[in-house]
Amino acid sequence: MTEQSQQLEAITQKEYKAGFVTDIEVDSLPPGLNEDVVRQISLIKNEPEWMLEWRLKAFRHWLTMETPEWAHVHYPAIDYQEISYYSAPKKKTDGPKSLDEVDPELLKTYEKLGVPLDERARLAGVAVDAVFDSVSVSNTFKDKLAEEGILFMPISEAIQEHPELVKKYIGSVVPHKDNFYAALNSAVFTDGSFVYIPKGVRCPMELSTYFRINAANTGQFERTLIIADDDAYVSYLEGCTAPMRDENQLHAAVVELVAMDRAEIKYSTVQNWYPGDENGKGGIYNFVTKRAACRGESSKVSWTQVETGSAITWKYPSVVLQGDNSVGEFYSVAVTNNMQQADTGTKMIHLGKNTSSTIISKGISAGRSQNAYRGLVRIGPNAENARNYTECDSLLMSDTCGAHTFPYIEVKNPTAKVEHEASTSKISEDQLFYCKQRGLDAEDAVSMIVNGFCKQVIRELPMEFAVEAQNLLGLSLEGSVG
Amino acid sequence: MKQLTDITTPFDDIAASKTLPGQDIDWLQQLREQARAQFQRQGLPSKKVEDWKYTSLWALSQEVFTHEAGASQLDEMRCSQTALLETAYRLVIVDGQFSAELSHIDGLETGLTVQPLSQAFSKTKSVLGQQVTLEKAGLNALNTMLMTEGAYIQVTANTKVSKPVELLVINTGETDKLATHLRHVIDIAENAELTLVEHYVSLADDSVGLTDVISEVNLAENARLNHFKLQHESLSHYHVATLAGKQASSSIWHTNNISLGAKLARNDIHSQLLGEQAHVTMDGLYLVAGKQHVDNHTRIDHAVPNTTSEEIYKGVLDGDSHAVFNGKVIVHKDAQKTDANQSNRNLLLSRTCEIDTKPEMEIYADDVKCGHGSTVGQLDEQQLFFLRARGMNETSARSLLTYAFAVEVLQRISDMPIRQALSNVIETRLPRGV
Repeated sequence: MTEQSQQLEAITQKEYKAGFVTDIEVDSLPPGLNEDVVRQISLIKNEPEWMLEWRLKAFRHWLTMETPEWAHVHYPAIDYQEISYYSAPKKKTDGPKSLDEVDPELLKTYEKLGVPLDERARLAGVAVDAVFDSVSVSNTFKDKLAEEGILFMPISEAIQEHPELVKKYIGSVVPHKDNFYAALNSAVFTDGSFVYIPKGVRCPMELSTYFRINAANTGQFERTLIIADDDAYVSYLEGCTAPMRDENQLHAAVVELVAMDRAEIKYSTVQNWYPGDENGKGGIYNFVTKRAACRGESSKVSWTQVETGSAITWKYPSVVLQGDNSVGEFYSVAVTNNMQQADTGTKMIHLGKNTSSTIISKGISAGRSQNAYRGLVRIGPNAENARNYTECDSLLMSDTCGAHTFPYIEVKNPTAKVEHEASTSKISEDQLFYCKQRGLDAEDAVSMIVNGFCKQVIRELPMEFAVEAQNLLGLSLEGSVG
Repeated sequence: MKQLTDITTPFDDIAASKTLPGQDIDWLQQLREQARAQFQRQGLPSKKVEDWKYTSLWALSQEVFTHEAGASQLDEMRCSQTALLETAYRLVIVDGQFSAELSHIDGLETGLTVQPLSQAFSKTKSVLGQQVTLEKAGLNALNTMLMTEGAYIQVTANTKVSKPVELLVINTGETDKLATHLRHVIDIAENAELTLVEHYVSLADDSVGLTDVISEVNLAENARLNHFKLQHESLSHYHVATLAGKQASSSIWHTNNISLGAKLARNDIHSQLLGEQAHVTMDGLYLVAGKQHVDNHTRIDHAVPNTTSEEIYKGVLDGDSHAVFNGKVIVHKDAQKTDANQSNRNLLLSRTCEIDTKPEMEIYADDVKCGHGSTVGQLDEQQLFFLRARGMNETSARSLLTYAFAVEVLQRISDMPIRQALSNVIETRLPRGV
């Protein structure tokens, strides 16, 4: 092994920094899944009858489905009866009314993660609907948002307070029959965020939520629903970290976005769940269904994601471009190291006239990881003058990793213009030499080159996220060139 | 929908009843038996199989084919007109049967063997069945259990064959719904060189039939094969083909696959680069219109370091046609310094055509240069305007631009007579010909 690769080895072997467990009493259901569990979750959540029916319908359908196996990932079969489907921080009589009442252990957790829950939050201009395991414990800036008529709350609360909105939109983008994990999620989701931006309102701040899987052996089934009514705008941030665990944990979230006429939704994700150790032991299974519907004309949805964590990532944030002139965007950086596996990409379904979409995907693989881009661009027969541009580049950082590309392009309208480009390469000796010659050490040089490689994506992130993302990239990769 | 595997196709009965050539060769009989068992298990692939996602064999499975060809009347004159090349060794197969009278394979130069497969099975053991697997979902098993004819071509070491070999496969259309199962075995030894044209043609415009063909290629060290395939069978015909080759070090395989005819045409082209410095070029062109369906699946395996591949597939779609392209490049572990380039470009001329394209890469090594691109678009309005402004009528201008788009695929052909012959054929098949 060369001196250089030894150096780099040392850096890539750094331990997962956010790995710690918070000790709080937890209300959990025993492991197992059947109709009673679904009923019980619904009961705990004090849900109306229609919601329970909806869950049961999803559950019954799930029973008829088979685990999908087409993705380019390998893992032992999951026993769905071994998972506990509900866990919540212990309730104090009426729940916390202010930050003082929030369990201090919990606050400490957020502090360690750098969640701006307290004063810092206001300075950063971020309203946080922090999800601790499955129940939301604290909401900030609610009043300020309420002034504008914006609804930002846990989805369980929205089911109580705004059932008409939830009923209208939930499952309208990702129906429960959509796929195996969407069906499972529909049956047993415990919480998540709900956002509604009324007509003509521009959300004055970035909305953000932090997910953190905490209690051992609880799969986390989040459900997020964001609706931007006519001419509304919202930018939503999602960031995740999870403590160190030895058993694989399943995360099967569903995110639904609806953009009406001229509305715009920007959804940014930084995902840094525990990826397992260097031998692939432990780590989160991240099987997520994310989909947006551009229902209205001239609406726009933009997905930006930086994926560095999880043992297995399996997600395809998609946009269904229904409205004429609607726009879909997907910017992604996916980093895999050690034994991580990622099969991620996007789907752009063009249905309306003059719709356009852009896909920029950057995959970086190191160690013995496998990183696949899988994407679909479909131009329907009525999508006149649809336009798509796709670029997916892979950077390889070791001779034992894999980088794969599976782009599907289906065109049924001759006025469409579709372009797809992909490249795969490694950091060249010349580039490294050039940087080192100018006094940068190997580590900084690689970091600089990687950041340059990802720049197109990083610059789409909101400011405070961009910094975090860059740090993450550095952490997961610094100099893993061999 | 019913799985295709659930449908009893009559192929199996035929394999049981028909006397196939090579009965006296044990290994061949065994191979046929294995294939038959495999076909009984697997049947025809359904659309649920990823490789057949966009191509349905439903219509094919519903046809009842015959395997007995009637006597055909084909004279030397007609045959020569049909052939692509004037100066070439020619092996002619008419309605699935080798025609000694029409073939020109007497007086071959030393080092070259061209024989009908039915007479040469015993020589093919080292190549036949080695380049394709029966397990792969598709028609390999079907072909292996029923193959009756084809060409056996062998070039001995250090022989540079001076004239091209044309395999001319003619469907006269005189026997309705005739199925032919052909297997070509091409074995090129060290430092040898050959130019080969596979040419599939129908004489009647609307004859229904099935051409099922597998070409197996073995290239030894430093061997070179220029391999052309031209398919313009009748628009009611089914054409399913596999072209599979293994390449030793420093060998070069140029394939050029031109697909113009057939109602349903499927090509599986596969190269395994097994020796360093081996190179493969996979080029292709498909011009489809009406109700045609064309599907090209290519796969290149870079199994060892320092191998290169280049691929351009272009398509022009008109009418209600449907084209599928799936290009797979796999860079295996430790296959460092691989250089692979792939592109698929499509021109859509009508409102109702459909293209599904999927350029895939699977890369397990890091020091590689791999790229692929794929585009779907229309004729450029500005280019059209430029030509119109110079007095060219709309039809001619469109045709000229379409032609220019298509012939790029031919420009890498170094053999001028072949390039000329192919571009002549393409010209006549262009939509709204000049």
